[in-house]
Amino acid sequence: MTKILVVDNHGQFTHLEHRALRDMGIETDLIDNDTPPEDIDADGLVLSGGPSMDDIGNCAEYLELDVPVLGICLGMQVMAHVLDGEVGGGEYGGYADVTVEITEEDDPLIGSLAPETRVWASHADEVKQVPSGFERTGTSDVCGIEAMSDTDRDLYGVQWHPEVAHTAEGEEVFENFRSVCE
Amino acid sequence: MVETGKFIEEAVAEIRDEVGDEHAIIALSGGVDSSVAAALAYKAIGDQLTPVYVDTGLMRKGETAQIRETFAYMSSLEVVEAEDRFLDALSGVTDPEEKRAVIGEQFIREFEREAKETDADYLVQGTIYPDRIESEGGIKSHHNVGGLPDVVDFEGIVEPVRDLYKDEVRDVARALGLEDIVAERMPFPGPGLAVRVVGEVTREKAQVVREACHVVEEELEEYDPWQAFAAVVGKGTGVKGDNRVHGWIVAVRSVESRDGMTARAQELDWETLQRIQSRITGQNENVARVVYDVTHKPPATIEYE
Repeated sequence: MTKILVVDNHGQFTHLEHRALRDMGIETDLIDNDTPPEDIDADGLVLSGGPSMDDIGNCAEYLELDVPVLGICLGMQVMAHVLDGEVGGGEYGGYADVTVEITEEDDPLIGSLAPETRVWASHADEVKQVPSGFERTGTSDVCGIEAMSDTDRDLYGVQWHPEVAHTAEGEEVFENFRSVCE
Repeated sequence: MVETGKFIEEAVAEIRDEVGDEHAIIALSGGVDSSVAAALAYKAIGDQLTPVYVDTGLMRKGETAQIRETFAYMSSLEVVEAEDRFLDALSGVTDPEEKRAVIGEQFIREFEREAKETDADYLVQGTIYPDRIESEGGIKSHHNVGGLPDVVDFEGIVEPVRDLYKDEVRDVARALGLEDIVAERMPFPGPGLAVRVVGEVTREKAQVVREACHVVEEELEEYDPWQAFAAVVGKGTGVKGDNRVHGWIVAVRSVESRDGMTARAQELDWETLQRIQSRITGQNENVARVVYDVTHKPPATIEYE
C-alpha cells in the first residue's frame, strides 16, 4: 500500500488532509514538523498549511528526501521560500471561492482538472516567483501563482486547499498525487 | 467515514474498561457531541454515570424541556437551573475571549459542585476532532477542552468521540437510535447564545437572540442548512408606528458545510428572507433591522464570536 505522511505545520485543515488520504484507503499518519528527516519512511509527503513561516520545523530538509512532496498553502510557500523562489503579501486576500485556470494541461498533479477548477482558498501571502526548475501550473484573478510543479524532482505546490469539502475536485488532486508516489 | 457498529462496540468497551466500577460524570450541553458521548457512556456503565445538564440561560428556545424529555431514560440525569448566576457573571463583559472564559469558569463552578456531590472519579467529555484542532491552533478556545480537570481531581478523563468529525458523530447518533431531533440537530456552540450576541450579554439581548434564532431555524428548515441562526450584532435606527426606535440589529446566518471547517453562505430567496425579517421585527419591538450575512468561511467563521 502507498504510504503518504502529512507533515503538520499547524494549519486548521491539516487533519482534513489526513482524513482525505485515509478515506481514499492510503496508509497515512500525521507527523510533527520537527520529526527528524531520517525517521521518515514514506512514499510521499504532504506539507500542510499553517499560520507562519517561522514555524515550519524541518520542512526544508524534507524536500531533500527524494520522495514526492505536495505542499499545500503555506506548504507550497515553504518550497518557494527555502529554494530560490520568492514569497510576499498578496494584493488581494484569497479567501473561499476561487476559480483557478490550469495553465499546464500535462501537469501530473492538476493537469487533469483543465481548463479550470473551483477551489476553496485561505491565504494572505502568496508565491511571487517560482524557484528554478519549477513551472507555474495554475493561476487566478486573485493570485498569480495558484499552483507550481517541478516534475523532475516531483515537488508540487497548490496555494489552495484540495482537502476541504468545498473544493470541487480536491480528491482528484490527491488521487493524482498518489499516482506520482506509486 | 466511521463504521458505526464497530465504533459503538469499541467505544462502549473502552469506557467500561476505563471506568470499571467507579463513578463518572458528564456535562450534557444539548448538542450532538455530548449527547452521543453520554449515550455511549450510559450504555457502558448505566447509572454509574451522572449526566449533568446546566441551564445557563443561554440555551435555545425550549431546549431545556427537550433535554429532560430526550434523556428521561437516564434516571441519574441532573438538571441545574443556573440562569441568574451566568447572566450576573457576564454583566459588563464585552471581550469575546473573556466572555468564553467567564462562562467556562461559571460552568466549572456549577459542575465542580455536582461532581463533588456525586463523588465522581471519572469525567466523560464530548470533545471531537475539530475542537482539538481549533484549540491547539489558537483560533478559538472551546470550553469542553481543559479547565475542569484543573479544579476537580479526576482519576481519568474519557473522550469517546475524540477522533470523530461532526458528520461522523451524527452517524453514530443515528446508529444509537437517539431521537431524530438529536441526530439531526444543528451544531450549537458550547458557550451557547453568548457567542451570538456581539459585545455584552444582557437579559434583553439574550431574549432577542433566542426568539430570533427560533424564527430562523423554523423558517429555514426546508433549506436543510448545516447551521442556521441569528445574532445580535449592534444597534441601529428604525421607525415603528411613527416612532423612532434605536433598536437591535439582528444578523441572520445560514450555511452549508460538511464538517464545519469550511462553509458556504446559503442562497436564500427574497420571500423567505422577508418573512424572517417580518417575524423578527414584528415579534420583538426592540429590533430595528434584520440583515443577511453572505460571507463564506473563510474569511468569516460560522459563529460571530
